[in-house]
Amino acid sequence: MTSIEEKFEESKRLGLQIVKESEEDRLMTLSVGPQHPGSGHFRFVIKVDGDYIVYCDPDPGYVHRGEEKMCEYRNVIQNIPHLERPVIHDSANITYSYSLAVEELVGIEVPRRGQFIRAIASELNRQVYTLYWLAIYGIFLGHSTMFMWPTGDREVIIDLLEALTGARVTHAFNIPGGVRNDMPEGFRDRCLSQIRYLQKRFKEYEDIFYNNPLFRQRTEGVAVLSKEDAIKLGVTGSVVRASSVPFDVRKAEPYDIYNEIDFKVQYMKTGDCFARSYVPLLDMQESCYIIEQLLDKMPASGEVRAKLQPNPKGPPGESYRRVESGRGALGYYIVSDGTPKPYRVKISVGSFRNMLALPYLLVGKRLADMPAVYWSLNYWPVEADR
Amino acid sequence: MASYPRDFRFGGFVVSLIWLIFWILIIVALVGLPLIFIILFYVPLPEVDGEVLTPYLFLTSILYPQSAIPVIETLLDTTFFKVAVFPGFTYAALIAAATIFIERKFLAKMQLRVGPLYAGKIEGILQLLADGLKLISKEIIIPSGSDKLIFWSAPIAFVATAAAVVALIPAAPGWVVADIDVGLLAVFAILGFFPLIALLFSWASNSKYPFIGGLRALHQLIAFEIPFILSALSVVILSGTLNLTEVVESQIQSYWFIFFLPISAFVFYISSLAELERIPFDLPEAEAEIVAGWLTETSGMIYGLLQLGSYIKTYALAALFVILFLGGWAGPQIFPAEIIPESAEAIIPVSELYEQTDANAAFWFTLKTFGVIMLMLLPRGISPRIRIDILLHTGWYKLIVLAFINMFVALALIYGGVLGPGGLLVR
Amino acid sequence: MSANNKEELNKLAAGSQTKHSSSTSDDTAQEQPPSSSTQPKQLPAKPSPPSATAAASAATTTTPPPKPSLASSPAKTQPEPPPFEKGLVEQLKNKFGDIVKVVFIKPLRIKIQVEPQDIVGVASFLRDSMGFDHAESVAGTDYPKDNQIEVVYHLGSYSREELAAHILWLTARTNKDDARLPTLINIYKSVEYHERECYEMLGVYFEGHPRNERFLLPEDWADIPPLRKDFRIKGR
Repeated sequence: MTSIEEKFEESKRLGLQIVKESEEDRLMTLSVGPQHPGSGHFRFVIKVDGDYIVYCDPDPGYVHRGEEKMCEYRNVIQNIPHLERPVIHDSANITYSYSLAVEELVGIEVPRRGQFIRAIASELNRQVYTLYWLAIYGIFLGHSTMFMWPTGDREVIIDLLEALTGARVTHAFNIPGGVRNDMPEGFRDRCLSQIRYLQKRFKEYEDIFYNNPLFRQRTEGVAVLSKEDAIKLGVTGSVVRASSVPFDVRKAEPYDIYNEIDFKVQYMKTGDCFARSYVPLLDMQESCYIIEQLLDKMPASGEVRAKLQPNPKGPPGESYRRVESGRGALGYYIVSDGTPKPYRVKISVGSFRNMLALPYLLVGKRLADMPAVYWSLNYWPVEADR
Repeated sequence: MASYPRDFRFGGFVVSLIWLIFWILIIVALVGLPLIFIILFYVPLPEVDGEVLTPYLFLTSILYPQSAIPVIETLLDTTFFKVAVFPGFTYAALIAAATIFIERKFLAKMQLRVGPLYAGKIEGILQLLADGLKLISKEIIIPSGSDKLIFWSAPIAFVATAAAVVALIPAAPGWVVADIDVGLLAVFAILGFFPLIALLFSWASNSKYPFIGGLRALHQLIAFEIPFILSALSVVILSGTLNLTEVVESQIQSYWFIFFLPISAFVFYISSLAELERIPFDLPEAEAEIVAGWLTETSGMIYGLLQLGSYIKTYALAALFVILFLGGWAGPQIFPAEIIPESAEAIIPVSELYEQTDANAAFWFTLKTFGVIMLMLLPRGISPRIRIDILLHTGWYKLIVLAFINMFVALALIYGGVLGPGGLLVR
Repeated sequence: MSANNKEELNKLAAGSQTKHSSSTSDDTAQEQPPSSSTQPKQLPAKPSPPSATAAASAATTTTPPPKPSLASSPAKTQPEPPPFEKGLVEQLKNKFGDIVKVVFIKPLRIKIQVEPQDIVGVASFLRDSMGFDHAESVAGTDYPKDNQIEVVYHLGSYSREELAAHILWLTARTNKDDARLPTLINIYKSVEYHERECYEMLGVYFEGHPRNERFLLPEDWADIPPLRKDFRIKGR
């Protein structure tokens, strides 16, 4: 979908009586804007013909803070706290990718125990983010219990993170070279017991939320994204895994110690809203297994952080590293010119890539499907704006 | 409160007292006395034990309390009491308030949280009062370009229509505000006003999201009125009357109608959820899609009035369910014949006001109504919101078919000689 | 980054003197950001991808002995680039010859540079014959020293398993004064929003793109494109 003409052709093919934009009397323009309970910090303009959406135009940028420009003014360690802010719930992953890219440029080797702790923090944060995403999905469908239960279960993991890192949400735990501090005593047992509790809860979620006939009616068969379209549009993360492309950065390009962990890439073949909402739950269950393996295989002691010089810098070079975050492949492209401050940092976030599917999927759908489709694309507005 | 306090001068104090007395005398003389004379001249006073209730009689009853009891009894029989206290405004408002509070607590427990906790000493029981005060103190914002007459009068019309439905519901034998022979038909006629009010209000809001919400409300409420009426029609077939009091009487003589008409009861329940715009049928107020639907532009007390009307409607429809299917006020007699035995010889026989049947009827009716209300609150914690095409499909196809099925069952029971007016014919 | 520096960093962990000397020599030798280095990277801590396991492990085990580094001439001590990536580059070179300039070949990362007028042809070949079916991101970098803006397309592959870990960097440089590039939107649909962001952040006009408009910046933006180096953040 590149132009309005193509979108209108597509709608005609769907069999709807769509009028051209020049006859605008029949269309009503709605701004699902930032002041809307169903949009987040994001705005998209839709034109509606009766109950059917004819045209959608996303308009992000309400939370644009110039992260990439700010990175050029601080050295590589000072960049960590403000780089976390685009996704505060998933902060371990967005700094993980940055740390990997910087380590490649500067030439730092991360000690083994640090790699394990980094992976544990990443998996825990992935679950925190996905539970929050699930909660908001419930609100968008009008299911308030589906909001309360995952938000309550998030507290379990956030308490773990607080014990591990010292802060609940934006903890600035990863730095180039490892993690800031070691695990506290007793963390391993506590983590394992909470993971078992979460695994039980995920089974309950399947029974109560995903097998609810109304939930299925609203999401099954809605907005199918075929495999070819998913590949052409370049979406990532759970969206592309729901369209039968089993791509996960942890399996395709294992970083740190992920090549020693045995896990499956969860994917579904249908590509509708239900698949896109079910794949994150499967990912979370898989994540629990990963954490158990990580805790088993971790070395009992060791350094968690490589020693760095005060202003780490490396020779001029470029690097591109990516990490599987809650939304998809999160890539950092860093250009260094030999000074402690990066020359250019480009963050490639999953949300920005998934946003492209929104105007394509919404054309021809009812107005009531709009929140279900929009949030199933795993779109985090703050991250897309950076 | 922040004015500069002046020095106290005794002369000024005396002057202000004289001004007060002066104004009281003026108002009483020019307004109060004529008003009393007009009331006494035109309004027919009730009769107490054969005597007309003159003000003389009323004032003497204060001096001689034993003569106050007949006065109170006649007051209890007037229509005004029925409208204002039971089963009218006070009763409905109390049940609505209790419903709101119970809903919040009940939902909270289902969702693993606590609900209102801080307003009031016991588990946030004064939360409703706090919310009401908050709503009163908010500014009412009228959108520019809106139709002011309709914008102001639609919420009042909403509450008035809901109250009109309450006026037709009998809570105990003889305790109904308007005992008309076509009670059930009148209920449905009044219920037909609600889509009109919703549409008018959404149009008057002059905004896109209320417009969409109003259209959705129109579609939804109209689609579900037909299964509503059809399911109540089965009850009319079985009981042979449209008068709501007599419907209950016929259930007392035979069994409760829910045993004969379970499908109709189910259809009635679903339709009443849709008429109340409760989750899962709260499309007209869908938050994530159309901000707040046709309530978007309401603020302050207008919103409060709409919520009050909505919960009074909840009570009305739940009470209707109880009357039609659950036997109204039928229940075993658990109240004693007299609360204080042998009190007829006491100086102030207050216990003469106590009627055993009325107390029992009111108790069972309230209990059953609360049960049905809890059943109506339950889907809010369980399901997401339905979509409009599925909603309309359900309302127009499936529920009408189900209502017809049960109506044929009822007809078969009547013509088969199993049931008749007056109860079971087959024993 | 050269392997010699890496070895020295690993051995002399706290010795800042050597590091500083090596990095200052780096600075003097290469003032511009690298656009012509062809050194493969060695990461002993990073596991090798499954497809090029044998080749990459052979590459990592042949570490040259550490020498006092003169980063200006590391090329003669570097091992061969990994064969799989080299094979991909050979395919490109067979088809396009000199149009494609290889900037570097590292394990899993290949960077090629083409002229703006050839970029559409190279991109279609990459998509149709070589299997890079989507663009992960589009980044623009401002090099005021060369008076050029470099636009990098990071291409990845979903459909081919052996290419899943590889990212091919397709880059083009354009003059800063009149920054125009042909758009790749007809080949890779996924670049629609990335190119729009590149336009507003750097001022590169993509010919053929339906909407070269403001995307993330506020509606009342009245300044030069922010990611250019002339744009200073106010107050710093």
